[in-house]
Amino acid sequence: MSNPTITYKKLPFATVAISALSILKTFLIPIIVVFFINFGKFTLNFNSPNFWSTIFTAGIWGVIIIFTLLAGVIKWWTFFYWFEDGELRVKYGLFVKKKRYISFERIQTLNYHEGIFHRIFGLVKVQVETAGSTDGKPEVEFTALTREAADQIEIEMRKAKAKPVTNEETSIEEDTVTEPVPEIVTEAMYKMSLKDLFVLASTSGGIGIIISGLLALLSQASDVIPYEKIYGELAAIAKYGVLIILLTIFVLFILGWVASLILTFLKYYDFKIVIQEEKMIITRGLIEKKRLTIPLNRVQAIKIVENPFRQMFGYATVHLESAGSNNDNNKESVVMFPLIKMHAIEQHITHLFPDYEWQQNYVPAPKKALPYYYRIDFFYIVPIIAVASYFLYPWGLLTLLLIPFTMGLGVWQHRTAAYCINDKQLTLRYRGISRVTFFVQKHRIQSLSSRQSYFQKKNDVMGIHLSVMSGASGAKASIRALDQADVEHILEWYDSEKIK
Amino acid sequence: MRLDPKHKISRKGLTVWRLYGIFEMLGILAVACVVSYLTIRNDWPQWIHAIGITLTLLSLIFSVIIFPKVRWERWRYEVREQEIEVKHGLFIVKRTIIPMVRVQHVDTTQGPILKKYDLSNIYISTAATIHTIPALAMNEADELRARISDLARVAEEDV
Repeated sequence: MSNPTITYKKLPFATVAISALSILKTFLIPIIVVFFINFGKFTLNFNSPNFWSTIFTAGIWGVIIIFTLLAGVIKWWTFFYWFEDGELRVKYGLFVKKKRYISFERIQTLNYHEGIFHRIFGLVKVQVETAGSTDGKPEVEFTALTREAADQIEIEMRKAKAKPVTNEETSIEEDTVTEPVPEIVTEAMYKMSLKDLFVLASTSGGIGIIISGLLALLSQASDVIPYEKIYGELAAIAKYGVLIILLTIFVLFILGWVASLILTFLKYYDFKIVIQEEKMIITRGLIEKKRLTIPLNRVQAIKIVENPFRQMFGYATVHLESAGSNNDNNKESVVMFPLIKMHAIEQHITHLFPDYEWQQNYVPAPKKALPYYYRIDFFYIVPIIAVASYFLYPWGLLTLLLIPFTMGLGVWQHRTAAYCINDKQLTLRYRGISRVTFFVQKHRIQSLSSRQSYFQKKNDVMGIHLSVMSGASGAKASIRALDQADVEHILEWYDSEKIK
Repeated sequence: MRLDPKHKISRKGLTVWRLYGIFEMLGILAVACVVSYLTIRNDWPQWIHAIGITLTLLSLIFSVIIFPKVRWERWRYEVREQEIEVKHGLFIVKRTIIPMVRVQHVDTTQGPILKKYDLSNIYISTAATIHTIPALAMNEADELRARISDLARVAEEDV
């Protein structure tokens, strides 16, 4: 059934340039590497033995580039989309033709992404997702659309959703009549202030600096540490060697810090959240702009992460584990608040997720669980120390520092570990290095496990592990060791009462 | 103390695991033989033979004799109205609860060895995880699969 008013739409021609450029961008580094390695060898002199390898290398890259361009052109040439019967329809493919029809009502999210090349042409990449896109891939991806075309899709979608379709007649009419645009809420629920952005950027790589700075200071403490006695005539060399190494590390860390500062700044610039029809819309970015949509009812769990540096100042990051693709490399969870004061979280978040409880009486890990937070690590630490000390004597002995370090970390993790359950919600608090508080509702937990080694069994200690759905691979939360009775209590809570 | 899940897996499962262990041992043995041959040819030190023999013996003791036995003894599962519970693990005993409403689909698979012994593995998928009950008797596995998919009613609004 074809409708005379249907117009097949094409992507703008700049799509070809954008897709070619972004593919070439990924090739850039290998090309540069190849070029520099063979720099002296390139020649166009037929008699030189390097002639054929030059031709060969150039030929391979030439072919790759031509194919990339060609693929872009073909994709652009064959790609059409149009609106019909309240559906978004696309078709593409040169030999194998593919068509995909998606009912507007089924569309869960439209995510926008403006990469650097998109910005040049004033275009935007649009990813269309439905509830079915659980493997981390969007249902349809428009490589590049003009802003107006992207808005057009959104308008069509909102029209389709606003009018419950009674029969086909009306829905077709709807498409043809130009409707007034349903108003779009634009008032931001949360905006990151410039000050917060600076704090965020400057604390994103902070720990390394402090550690390396401390080490450099320590190396200056040669008055205290009797280097002379230890190394005899090697002392001077050792002393300056260490200082130079540590200074280099320090400088590297500073550079890394500056880089992460800039990157974070670019990534989270102008971060804001708009709530619109039970959906959370997050926009951010300075050079590359992104717009993510997360339907609130698809949020599976909420995670508050405090890295130690930020924890000192009472700051935290709030992540959402959302079903469907998260669009941030598909691996990370969605960052809801990149940086927020711990005490301000509740006021921002309560009305969005009314089912969750934030104030908790945590049950900590018992004292007897402490050894299980570091003892297992000795399995790999001891061999490392043994090997390093033997082969790299005497500097290898420095690896002995790993022991207090691991134990210290273990003690810290043990102190953090705690859980809380109430009627519908399980909260786990644990630490790798950053402290994580994981809030999840019972009906969102996909599976729950206890873990117990032979030694843990003797001491009535047990670990707990849970999975929730998130992006392509799911998200996990676990505590290494808690009281066995507590863990069994959680298992009981999870399976006893009927879940529905 | 929580009670253990009721069912153990089939006794034939142990035989199959032993068989896998034997294959693993044969693999190690083959590598050891090649290395030994090279040692003789190239006049490498003699202790290389000893390493080969030790590894093969260790593999015989552990992956053929001890580990399959312990694993088999430990493996428990139970499919109840509301949830599936499995308990297993060699060094670390894991106990997992999968609620029926979370189960998305159930698969059974069977390789040539399992087929010979009339066994099959059953895979239970949730939206985020996949869980296995290994080496079940064929009819038992089929029955279980049918039962789980009967009991499983995925509440889609939750995902």
